Amino acid sequence: MAGLNDDAQWIVLMGFVVSFSLFFIAIVLNQSTVIGQTTAEAVLEFPKNDIRDVRDVIIRSEFLDDDGIFFNKSNVQKDIRTLSLSRQNSVVNISSTPPTAENPYTTVDIHYNNGVTIYNEIWRSK
Amino acid sequence: MVNTEGQLYTIEGIAAGLIMLMTAYIVVNSTSVYTLGDTHISDMQLEVLGSDALNLMNTAPNSTLGRSPLQTIVETDDAETFRSMFLTLVNNRAGSDRDHIQFVANVTYVDVGGSVRSTVLSDSLRPFVSGEHAVRVSDWVIVEKRFPDCSAQSCSGKHAVLVEVLLWRD
Repeated sequence: MAGLNDDAQWIVLMGFVVSFSLFFIAIVLNQSTVIGQTTAEAVLEFPKNDIRDVRDVIIRSEFLDDDGIFFNKSNVQKDIRTLSLSRQNSVVNISSTPPTAENPYTTVDIHYNNGVTIYNEIWRSK
Repeated sequence: MVNTEGQLYTIEGIAAGLIMLMTAYIVVNSTSVYTLGDTHISDMQLEVLGSDALNLMNTAPNSTLGRSPLQTIVETDDAETFRSMFLTLVNNRAGSDRDHIQFVANVTYVDVGGSVRSTVLSDSLRPFVSGEHAVRVSDWVIVEKRFPDCSAQSCSGKHAVLVEVLLWRD
């Protein structure tokens, strides 16, 4: 170490440490503004309420009468399919099995697909 | 032959280089200034609030099979009841002051010809000029009415309509 002045090494070292830690703190501060962004976007992206609402209305529609001059059940389910496609960007498919003598339960097959999220359920009345 | 002179200068040079690189990184990074609105957190809260309010209005009293308030409102086209009920629900806050959420509500239906149409159900008396940062919530209602209004018996019966609400904080 000929010719090298090794005085004040601690001061120089501390200078480095302080300046680098300032940068790390700046980066942490920079990131703190985006806290929760991914969570919020994921919640907005996932159609939880759409699925819940459409499932609810499909099950309610299943117990409407389907005779006379109005064909309530068919009309309501047709409306659900059309409106889902045009306003919720989702394909909804419904098929159901009415209760029989051997199987006293109503079974509803619900399919929901909006291109990103797919939801399938076989619902059975208890 | 390796010369050991000038070590401190070399270290200082490397450190200065690193500091400059980091400065450049931070400067380039900060051209996109993030505000709370960009992170969609308030959107998420508004959407959850709005869909909860709609769900609440679409629930019959005591969870019976009767009519929900929303069903009655849509069938009778009662803009005033929808306005007061919805604003009471979404603007409720702890304490005495109220929140300032505004809304526009539409009913979307399938008409006799099979095409999808919308009609305004209610609004908060504040015009929607498309500059607002609005979120959309919706709920299904089964109504005993054929939209648009028609009195002939063959065009009644039950139909599903979608109540869509745009809401924003003003």
